[in-house]
Amino acid sequence: MKKHHISALVFLALALAAAGIAGASFLSMRKSEYIAKGPGVSEIKMLSDWFPALAGGPGDTEVYILKADGSGEGDASMLVLGGTHPNEPAGFMAAILLIENAIPSTGTLYVIPRANNSAFTHNDPQEGSPQRFSIETPSGDRVFRYGSRATNPIHQWPDPDVYIHASSGQSLSGNETRNLNRGYPGKQNGTLTEKICFGITELIKKEGITITVDLHEASPEYPVNMAMVAHPNAMPLASETVIGLEMQDIAIGLEPSPVNLRGLTHRELGDFTNTLPVLMETPNASQGRLRGRTDEALVLTGIDPWYVKAQKLGRLYVPYDENGHPLEERVGRHLAGIAELAFSWTLNNPERPLEFAGLPSFAELLDTGLGAWLKAPVE
Amino acid sequence: MKSIYLTILAGVLGLCLWCLLSAKKPSAQATAAMVIVPLVLRLFLIN
Repeated sequence: MKKHHISALVFLALALAAAGIAGASFLSMRKSEYIAKGPGVSEIKMLSDWFPALAGGPGDTEVYILKADGSGEGDASMLVLGGTHPNEPAGFMAAILLIENAIPSTGTLYVIPRANNSAFTHNDPQEGSPQRFSIETPSGDRVFRYGSRATNPIHQWPDPDVYIHASSGQSLSGNETRNLNRGYPGKQNGTLTEKICFGITELIKKEGITITVDLHEASPEYPVNMAMVAHPNAMPLASETVIGLEMQDIAIGLEPSPVNLRGLTHRELGDFTNTLPVLMETPNASQGRLRGRTDEALVLTGIDPWYVKAQKLGRLYVPYDENGHPLEERVGRHLAGIAELAFSWTLNNPERPLEFAGLPSFAELLDTGLGAWLKAPVE
Repeated sequence: MKSIYLTILAGVLGLCLWCLLSAKKPSAQATAAMVIVPLVLRLFLIN
């Protein structure tokens, strides 16, 4: 064997070892984190129960149903979507806290914690995001994935140069074809992302969901932030909710769903179904463009000196100081919004109430942290 | 579509291996080896 062949085999062995290590790390992202079945959960179904074409595929996802005793057809219901964008962890964690703690006394709560299940299986390239973050509970650490904004290209490929939204014909950048919140109301024979949207729309139609809440986060430099975005049909409900939140000293804006921005929950679900759709945003530095070091601490605390500087220069749309915006604050905002939406609905529709207990208040969550409201981890 | 993609990928991987084994300069071999890493991950549909 010649000398350069020996060195080639050494390089090949090193390359295969690197591929093996990286591959094991990437494959570990396909293992779903544990979510405990809380006291209010009456049933766990799959999205494919409403749209069988998703069965067994990467887009199929768990739907947790929390039904009050005696609740039936015609009673009020709420669907909460967490994990539409898995790089926006407050929405995912708020959905988990609902599943593990909420106990409905009237009406039904449907919670999809991983709305885009495929997007949890990878990170956005070149962002340097952590794969996971952990939260300390009284019984040990719970670990959660920090995924991508979009469906995994392993599951949906290739991206077109231009993404054409199916029902409106609107043109968007090609990679938006894998963005769940640009695909509604979905397409029965479309891409994986469009099929997931179609499945969620089918669930809303078949179950007659009264209110749909899509939980998101936004970069601190993004104008729609610390806000609720509502379809015109949901605007009266959202207006009362925002006033209720402000009375609790939770600052929040109210934005109308733009007519010409298509494919989003707050537009299409209101146009194509009878649900009242709203979307909520909280400030998340770990997805922002101005951020510095991107690690688990940034996800959990939101503390970033560059955002403090940007705030001083007047470049942000949210207050930002040395205390950041910790995850418990962002989750608390989402949970307070959900509770206030249910309260406002019940106030105006006493014959079809929607009430649930067991959730921490905004102040309690800030005081105790998220870990106090998460069940014990499993091995 | 997937089979076309994988066929092209396997072809490129083969070319890389050929470069790795035929190159005499260690720097060229190292470059070929580094290109192999993402190709292997793609070939097995890992990432």
